[in-house]
Amino acid sequence: MIEVKEVEKKFGRKKILKDVSFTANKGEITCLIGINGVGKTTLLNAIMALTPINNGEILIDGEPVKEKTFEKISLIPDALTMIPNMTIEEAMEFMNDFYTSWNRERAEELLGFFRLNKNDRISSLSKGNTAKVNLLLGLALDVDYVLMDEPFSGIDMFSREEIANVFTSHLIENRGVIITTHEVNDIEHLIDKVVLLDDGMVTKEFDAEKAREDDGMSVIDVMREVYQG
Amino acid sequence: MKKYLKLVNFEFNRVVKLFIVLLGITLVVQVAGVIIKSKDYLNMANEKINEDLIPKAQFLTDYGQFSFLHIIRSLWFVGPIALCAAGVAFYIFLIWYRDWVGKNIFVYRLLMLPTTRFNIFFAKISNILIMTLGLVAFQLILLPLEAMVLKWMVPDEFRNDMGIEEMITSIPELNIIIPSSFVELILYYGAGLMAVSILFTAILMERSFKWKGIIAGVIYSAIAVIVFISPVLLQEFVLNSYFYPMELFVIEIVMAVIVLAASVWMSGFLLKKKVTV
Repeated sequence: MIEVKEVEKKFGRKKILKDVSFTANKGEITCLIGINGVGKTTLLNAIMALTPINNGEILIDGEPVKEKTFEKISLIPDALTMIPNMTIEEAMEFMNDFYTSWNRERAEELLGFFRLNKNDRISSLSKGNTAKVNLLLGLALDVDYVLMDEPFSGIDMFSREEIANVFTSHLIENRGVIITTHEVNDIEHLIDKVVLLDDGMVTKEFDAEKAREDDGMSVIDVMREVYQG
Repeated sequence: MKKYLKLVNFEFNRVVKLFIVLLGITLVVQVAGVIIKSKDYLNMANEKINEDLIPKAQFLTDYGQFSFLHIIRSLWFVGPIALCAAGVAFYIFLIWYRDWVGKNIFVYRLLMLPTTRFNIFFAKISNILIMTLGLVAFQLILLPLEAMVLKWMVPDEFRNDMGIEEMITSIPELNIIIPSSFVELILYYGAGLMAVSILFTAILMERSFKWKGIIAGVIYSAIAVIVFISPVLLQEFVLNSYFYPMELFVIEIVMAVIVLAASVWMSGFLLKKKVTV
């Protein structure tokens, strides 16, 4: 389980995260929803120890993040984190060199799934293909948790569909996923849990299935209720 | 250890093109310098002996024989060395900052590697050392080669041959980059390593605290330098030469080790706890 407890993060005097707490379970898709600039990316970076927090605690399976944690959690940021003049194959080799959790077969499978050419240079990829390579590098790791930052942001309709298909495939099965987005439509039906963020705070945390069954409300309906009144 | 070595290899592959360019420039410019300087001398000799009709012996007395010293003291020789030194100095900063800039921010990946973040620091500092030693080793290979070119160009009677050691000790700058004893090598390169580790710490402070980090980095560097030279300052101004030179030397080495260790620890702390993508 990923536990975010009373996390506070400041940039200078500005508080980006104010007392944020929530949990994300293995085997569930947790969606962090909020408008741009609300602190979603900062929160994911904080979970991966990529930016220090000013207060609070973040635990992965009951332990703070240390070097070995990166073998069981991966972050798929909204920009590619590989050197532009590498080919996709070289990027895969790099991952294989450094991660024992790198699953070569799954990487090859993902190459096929996304119809990517491994000889293509990263710098020459379109935005959609860059997002797919990013997903490949994150999902080919045999990790328990995957964090995805805006995987649908600014990419074409067909790439969105292909990426959305990932969520219904075995590539996600049994893993704990935290996904940030401000566009819920693409994956609304797949989300298990929703954490609504506004102005650096959690305004509501709810079970999407329960909201559908008990209150007959979709995620968007709940969002409307929270944000518009 | 394995991941450290993989990181060193990976970092080296990222700089290999710049490294080869520096080696290429050094080779071309220095060899061109040998040829041009030798030709200049021979043209002058030709002019004096054949046109001004000065006897050869008189010419040699007046103008002296041509030796490698003429080349070593010229810009043709020193220029590429200065360029390489500037290249390495520039790379000390680039090796960190390039991971943070551009569309693809590689520092995300570096910080998410399942290895201690100390390895990132050690791999980068090792690369600076490898680059420096590589350039120096190349210069050592070039020296006899250039001496050979000079021998082909200038006839025996006009030439004063020098040994490699003589060439190296002829200018102090060259003697620093190619020390004549193992102890000097450890001292000079140890001091260099300490300086690079201080700079790395300052860079990581800037990466952690932005503009406040710049101030912290400058203060840290100043303190590190003061700590390092404090025994010399005390000896000069307070203790009235209380220590024997050998004692002072040992204290200086201890201070250098302390500064180096503090910089490594501080950099590791910043990478683990404070640095931000």
